[in-house]
Amino acid sequence: MHEPPYATRLKPYGRALVDLARSREEILCLSGDLTRQCEIDLFQAEFPDRFVHGGMAEANMMSMAGALARCGHIPFVHTFGVFATRRPYDQIANAIAYPAVPVRIIGFMPGISTPGGPSHQAIDDMALMRALPNMTVVDIADAVEMAQVAATVVDLPGPVYVRLKRGEIPVMFDDDHQLSMTNAAVLSHGTDAALFASGMMLATALAAARALEDNGVSVSVVSVPVIKPLDAGTVRRVAADARVVLTAENHSIIGGLGSAVAETLAEAGLGRPLRRVGLQDTFAEGSLTAPYLFEKYGLSVQHLVDTTWTLLARSGPAPTASPLVADVDEYSPV
Amino acid sequence: MTAVRASDPATRWTVADPVRLATCIRLRAVQMVAPQGFGYLGQALSAAEQVAAIFAVARPGVDRLVCSPGHYVIAPFAAAVELGLLDESVLQGYGKNGSPIEAIGTERSPVMDYTCGSLGQGLSAAVGFALSDRLRARDARTFAMVSDGEMEEGQVWEAALFAGYQRLSHLTVVLDANNSQVDGPVDTITTLEPVVAKWAAFGWHVADLDGHDTWAVLAALAAAEAERHQPSVLICRTSTRHGLDCLPPDSDGHFIKLTPAVAQAAVEELTARLVGSRA
Repeated sequence: MHEPPYATRLKPYGRALVDLARSREEILCLSGDLTRQCEIDLFQAEFPDRFVHGGMAEANMMSMAGALARCGHIPFVHTFGVFATRRPYDQIANAIAYPAVPVRIIGFMPGISTPGGPSHQAIDDMALMRALPNMTVVDIADAVEMAQVAATVVDLPGPVYVRLKRGEIPVMFDDDHQLSMTNAAVLSHGTDAALFASGMMLATALAAARALEDNGVSVSVVSVPVIKPLDAGTVRRVAADARVVLTAENHSIIGGLGSAVAETLAEAGLGRPLRRVGLQDTFAEGSLTAPYLFEKYGLSVQHLVDTTWTLLARSGPAPTASPLVADVDEYSPV
Repeated sequence: MTAVRASDPATRWTVADPVRLATCIRLRAVQMVAPQGFGYLGQALSAAEQVAAIFAVARPGVDRLVCSPGHYVIAPFAAAVELGLLDESVLQGYGKNGSPIEAIGTERSPVMDYTCGSLGQGLSAAVGFALSDRLRARDARTFAMVSDGEMEEGQVWEAALFAGYQRLSHLTVVLDANNSQVDGPVDTITTLEPVVAKWAAFGWHVADLDGHDTWAVLAALAAAEAERHQPSVLICRTSTRHGLDCLPPDSDGHFIKLTPAVAQAAVEELTARLVGSRA
């Protein structure tokens, strides 16, 4: 693992999709009028014959993708996560999830990574996709994993929903790290608190763990890129070794990683105090910057430190954590 | 069960007499609905000639067939038995517990290449098929059954816009304008007319015809095949009670109730017509 401040890479997903498409002629690239924003301007330039403008018509785009997949194509469908899930939910359910065809739905701009307000913030996309039978749900925000995700999911038998951050992406993992669809990555072992994090909250969890470890709290950090099917074995094993469990997700605490972990612990009869860090069953709001929203809605490093400290019933004030440095070019208004 | 689909390369059928096939579809549909006493018979009655004509024109093992309104799948199922694509015994399971022949067709139903359970989505699937065939230079046509009520769903117009822009000339929509939806006649719910002008405005070649005139449907399908620059739509004017004189005049076209007496009369009426057509 690299240490913060993380270096960044530009458009790792978009570049990797082009590389993959060179050897995989079945891949089609569909765009819902967000081509540059979803990094597929690169694909369009390289493979114009395999690029399809769906336009602002997500319902049609998803149903069409389902039919294309039946014909042997592998459609990668791109738009913002909020439009990829809420608008065409019935179409995804009937045309893609039910027949379990290999459509790859790529939803950019997860959670409150955009200050664009509730209409643009995908705070329930994982919950919606996770509720659909046959659907795999992935949430990543590291440049190494993002460069691998297209090749990692391309041959999965059923549909996949991937939520991705846009633009400049932090490099957290070493280049020899391999994104796994089956195993959550245990990044550190501890006996006090187990932190399970996905997507953009992984960096937050690592920073919080550092502050806690510096103050005598022994912390496990587990990166959970695949929300469904959840690596329940790792969740049980790591949680069993800790006194308290926390989840951190850039999403509503209902229906996503926190819910998946809670269900796993409850079904295992593994009683551990649990706190789900994320949007507390609330819509967010429009703003100028995303870091303001992460702070205001309780998705900051300090909030995770405070929550862990309180849950462990530690005496005295919680340690002060270094805030994450905002990524360059984090937000490009659309 | 292994699903036979129209465009599977090994699939074969022949339609000797499309007019007669339409009557057979009605008879089979009556027999499918009769055991429960209710079902989607009206859809088969209004679409019988359209389905017969599609099977008469489509090339088995090549062309793709889509049934957008899943309630209509009773008609393709009935045709499939007549054409040897489905075993006759399968129809006895129509709508029954545990049967693959569900009353409302789904994305996994056999016979058609694609059937939609949720209304208004099949045209998009048909567009996907037509787009795939064009991308791969595969010489195939796609025929999509769509109903007039589905035009109330916005997605139909998303798909129509896309197909018009892409000039998907190998796509033909056979639109059953039976003026029937759950709450009553379509024109008491909303105004769809002018339907012809709407599709034309989206860049489609449009035909407006009597959907119970099999030869008119066949002629319109031939004209659609000749169209090289636009997708085509056939606006087929129909009735959910057509071709079954014994039905009470107040039958609910969306979901017809069939008493044993009416079912018996219907079988006799349709059987007599088949015998008469053979003479």
